[in-house]
Amino acid sequence: MDRRSVISDYIKNEIMRNKNAKLDESEDLLGAGILDSLAILQLVAYIEKSLGIQVPDEDVQYDNFKSVNALVDYLQKF
Amino acid sequence: MRYLLTEAVTQSAERYPDREAIRYSGGSLTYTELESRSNSLARTLQELGLSRGERVGIFMNKGLESAVAIYGIMKAGGAYVPLDPFAPVARIGYVIQDCGIRHLITKEAKRDQIGQIFAEASPVEHLIGLAEQDGLAAHCVSWDDALNVPSHSLGIHLTEQDLAYILYTSGSTGVPKGIMHTHRSGLSFAEWAADAYGLNFKDRVSNHAPLHFDLSTFDYFASAIAGAVTVIIPEALTKFPTNLSGLMEEERISVWYSVPFALIQLMQRGGIENRDLSALRWILFAGEVFPTKHLRELMMMLPHIRFSNLYGPTETNVCTYCHVTEVPPDTDETIPIGIPCANVEDLVVDLDDQPVSSGEVGELLIRGGVVMKGYWGQPEKTANGFYRRPAFGQFEDVFYRTGDLVQLDPNGNYRYLGRKDRQIKTRGYRVELDEVEVALLAHDGVLEAAAYPVPDYQGSNLIEASVILKQGVALDPSDLVEHLSQRLPPYAIPLRIDILDDFPRTSTGKINRRELQSLAIERLAN
Repeated sequence: MDRRSVISDYIKNEIMRNKNAKLDESEDLLGAGILDSLAILQLVAYIEKSLGIQVPDEDVQYDNFKSVNALVDYLQKF
Repeated sequence: MRYLLTEAVTQSAERYPDREAIRYSGGSLTYTELESRSNSLARTLQELGLSRGERVGIFMNKGLESAVAIYGIMKAGGAYVPLDPFAPVARIGYVIQDCGIRHLITKEAKRDQIGQIFAEASPVEHLIGLAEQDGLAAHCVSWDDALNVPSHSLGIHLTEQDLAYILYTSGSTGVPKGIMHTHRSGLSFAEWAADAYGLNFKDRVSNHAPLHFDLSTFDYFASAIAGAVTVIIPEALTKFPTNLSGLMEEERISVWYSVPFALIQLMQRGGIENRDLSALRWILFAGEVFPTKHLRELMMMLPHIRFSNLYGPTETNVCTYCHVTEVPPDTDETIPIGIPCANVEDLVVDLDDQPVSSGEVGELLIRGGVVMKGYWGQPEKTANGFYRRPAFGQFEDVFYRTGDLVQLDPNGNYRYLGRKDRQIKTRGYRVELDEVEVALLAHDGVLEAAAYPVPDYQGSNLIEASVILKQGVALDPSDLVEHLSQRLPPYAIPLRIDILDDFPRTSTGKINRRELQSLAIERLAN
């Protein structure tokens, strides 16, 4: 699976906990209340485990996590 | 003299007309602007038929508009009711029904959710902040129109006993309950806080908490009394420690107030050691216990800053406090909640409501101006929440029962030992575990349910639950999560739900929640 689907699926299945959820990849995940502090930590841990990318603390920022698209763009640097 | 919360803004507008009152994401309002806009909004509400004591909802993410709404509603004689912008629609709808909100202040971004709220019968007649559009069965007034009216004072006669705001919190019967505060109770706290922390017009005070969380009353009201600026932190940024520490530096925050969890995150992931926090002088925290080892670490990182632990259920604002000067290196004993605030009287009673001897464990009762008026629409619950003590055989002293078990230590500080009931804190949010169980039992397939807290190993609790299904029912835990997400705010939804064939039981056949909790903790530890 490509990174985009890996991340999308994880957010739907494990964070929204509803595999049939609709998730617009440009949607503001924070504004919509999908990501909270705990979910962000889970997501960072999952990215490390499943994609082998260690996201440094200083990169765990709103701009990099505000949407699926933003996160995929950010992860391109790895 | 001041006896209304709104007078703090009016007086600061006279004293510091051009100083900033509110900042949000690069924008700001001066005290003059905050005063005149809130007067205009009050006038619009009055023209829309708002009467004294009516409840007005605020349903939007925080920003300059929500600050104007807080004061505009109170200036019109109403009580503001902050609705959690991230709560499920059904819960918002319940609160609107429960306290009969006819006027709702909102934003375009909430239009979809408003539509869903209106799918059920709703008492809302006027929506302020939405442009008129087909499809909503209510009268709409855009934000611009609401403010495009004269901005001088309305001159409404109010007293300190008028309702100022209602904060809804988790209720053990399965629905949230509304805690009513008057201008007196809000102001009693804010005046004390502005004085105790020496706030002045040069201060820059953080607003980290959501508006429906009582910490926010310090951020707005104590700041307004001092003529300080309240720096609203956008909800999205509160989730990112790196952004938060950046904001602390850029905004030159001088007084920070949040739950301990936010501070632990800042310390562990915010890179604060690389930030210039020279403007910061006070860190205040409340909402739950700050784990001693984390607090010690934070205090060592920020040696020039003073720390204070504030304690009090939403029903009493803040009632005790403790300036933490040092945490001994060799102990993880919990820090005290300290001593009563000025003008607050404390009493500790045993299970038979008899005062305990000094140093014995008992329930903390609180009396004073900071105490709420009661629970909205629940006279019985209100009566149960208070303890009446005859004084001199002539009158009664009325105390609020906090439900918190405390003990006075040899230094004269109170220590918090736990709850009398099944209320817990998760990341600073107050949750009645009974409410979670009632919500699980509301699912047709669930026979029995148990909810219990587990440590998150970050200084707070998370919730887990187990259920037994009715015979012949097949369900996946995700179905139950889906069910709960329609009823509970996100922080109250169990992190994990186990479906079991039977529960461990006590000798009397009751669910042994302690055993379930131990099993969950054991599993987490492995």
